[in-house]
Amino acid sequence: MIRFDKANVTYKGGVSAMKDLDLEIGDGEFVVIVGLSGAGKSTLIRAINGLVPLTSGGLNVNGHDVPNLNAKGRRELRSEVGMIFQGFNLVDRTTVLNNVLMGRLHQVPLWRTLIGKYPEEDIQIAAKALDRVEILDRAYVRATNLSGGQRQRVGIARALAQEPKIVLADEPVASLDPPTSHVVMKYLQQISRDLGITTIVNLHFLDLATAYADRIIGLRDGELVFDGPGSDADEQTFRDIYGRSLTADDTMAKQAAL
Amino acid sequence: MSSMSASPPVQLPSKPRDTFKIVVSTVFVVLFGWSAISVDIKWSRLLEAPADMYRLFKAMYSDIPWDELSRLIGLMWDSIAMAWIGTLIAAVFAIPLSFLAAENLVGRPIAWVTRQVFNVLRAVPEVILALLFVPMFGLSPMAGVLAIGVGSIGSLGKLFYEIIENIDSGPIEATDAVGASRLQRLRWGVIPQVAPELTSFLLYRFEINIRASSVLGVVGAGGIGGVLADTVRFKEYGVAGLALIVVIVGTIVVDTISGAIRHRIVAGRTIDIGEAQKYVVDTGGLS
Ligand SMILES: Nc1ncnc2c1ncn2[C@@H]1O[C@H](COP(=O)(O)OP(=O)(O)O)[C@@H](O)[C@H]1O
Ligand SMILES: [Mg+2]
Repeated sequence: MIRFDKANVTYKGGVSAMKDLDLEIGDGEFVVIVGLSGAGKSTLIRAINGLVPLTSGGLNVNGHDVPNLNAKGRRELRSEVGMIFQGFNLVDRTTVLNNVLMGRLHQVPLWRTLIGKYPEEDIQIAAKALDRVEILDRAYVRATNLSGGQRQRVGIARALAQEPKIVLADEPVASLDPPTSHVVMKYLQQISRDLGITTIVNLHFLDLATAYADRIIGLRDGELVFDGPGSDADEQTFRDIYGRSLTADDTMAKQAAL
Repeated sequence: MSSMSASPPVQLPSKPRDTFKIVVSTVFVVLFGWSAISVDIKWSRLLEAPADMYRLFKAMYSDIPWDELSRLIGLMWDSIAMAWIGTLIAAVFAIPLSFLAAENLVGRPIAWVTRQVFNVLRAVPEVILALLFVPMFGLSPMAGVLAIGVGSIGSLGKLFYEIIENIDSGPIEATDAVGASRLQRLRWGVIPQVAPELTSFLLYRFEINIRASSVLGVVGAGGIGGVLADTVRFKEYGVAGLALIVVIVGTIVVDTISGAIRHRIVAGRTIDIGEAQKYVVDTGGLS
């Protein structure tokens, strides 16, 4: 379970990206966060695994008291939380398998990770993760040689190899075309359902959000302005979140048609 | 297209004068003139040079002492080995230090201090180092190896940290996000990104160091340079000429091999995985 308690994040320049956030996300939920660019979506996601520190307030993630963790505790927390990035963040010059094995770094003895000699069980876990996103045949190919959609599937496999309780995805489809976006979203949804992983996804496109989310959270200027099931979110809701009427830019289907 | 050329000509803004270029060229010419006067070069001697060259060339190559060849090749091999060992010694120090000089991996103060170490090391020429090491280690290749090793740390370190500072921060963020430790982040977030370039620059430095190590023999630090110096001094031009050929051919051969390896490292290996599609796979190396 994830619980924010009057949580605030103010960046060095003085920008307040999270304002008195009270939010609870239960185990196994599939949550989509929507909001304009700069609304604080990435800040919220990154606070959960401690990449962005809270300025004040409380945050508990699976029993970890995030604001008060030391370096070791923070690594422990991060090892339980998988993360998927807009830019994939793969190491291009090494193999797909080595990228996925990075998800095992916390579990494997340090010396083994340094010489790249992972135990057979861990290689199996990585292989199963690759198999789940149907890209196992590319295991020994360099990551550079994959298409965007394939790269993001490797990103998902890396997160899965952590055997995480939570997966965070920060605009995972923003660099992909519409059909590929749907493929990636389906994998995320399937994984959440099959493995009971709590999944939190930042999305720019509203139609994708309503299509996949069990629960939608709307942010505006660092504040929570909507929290409810995807079915409750209508045009008016999105007008509230976006502070303007919707345009073709806001939905993928219309965007693609342009 | 045709409508473009048919339209009336447009007025470009007036061309800016490239003051910087003019200043640089002037400074260049002035500096050259000033240096030429102050070092008192006897330009007239240049006219006699072709004749001198011809006499020297005749002395060297009219009667080549082939029986010396295997000894000279052995000494060239020593020079190459000195260059290689020296380069590796330099790498052992330069790689860890370069991580400490990269601002994206450590704080600014640490990076600054490490860079000053590189700057000092870079400022001392290998020959000076060899002159210092010969009294310490005797007239032996050891002095040459150490001179090359210490002398290359600075320049390798500088190249290395510049490579490290140019890497993509995404993979580093990803290693942080999986809960990796600092060493693991270095191993998997940084090294795979820089290993090919680092290896390639190491080989390039080796090629430079072969030249340095041939020279170092002149001050008694081992290798073929010593023979060159001695034979010229004692006017054994035949041996000197052959030694020169050995140095040139040896250097070119090693350069060619090393260059081919560098090319292969940076390009990666391509394999065909049966889909009419070529994939570049992991080249191993340091990564
Ligand atoms: N590292 C940072 N330093 C200063 N300001 C930041 C930083 N990261 C984000 N911000 C600011 O915080 C606000 C929220 O950013 P972000 O969480 O990235 O929004 P979103 O992901 O919804 O686009 C923005 O105004 C952004 O400019
Ligand atoms: Mg963002």
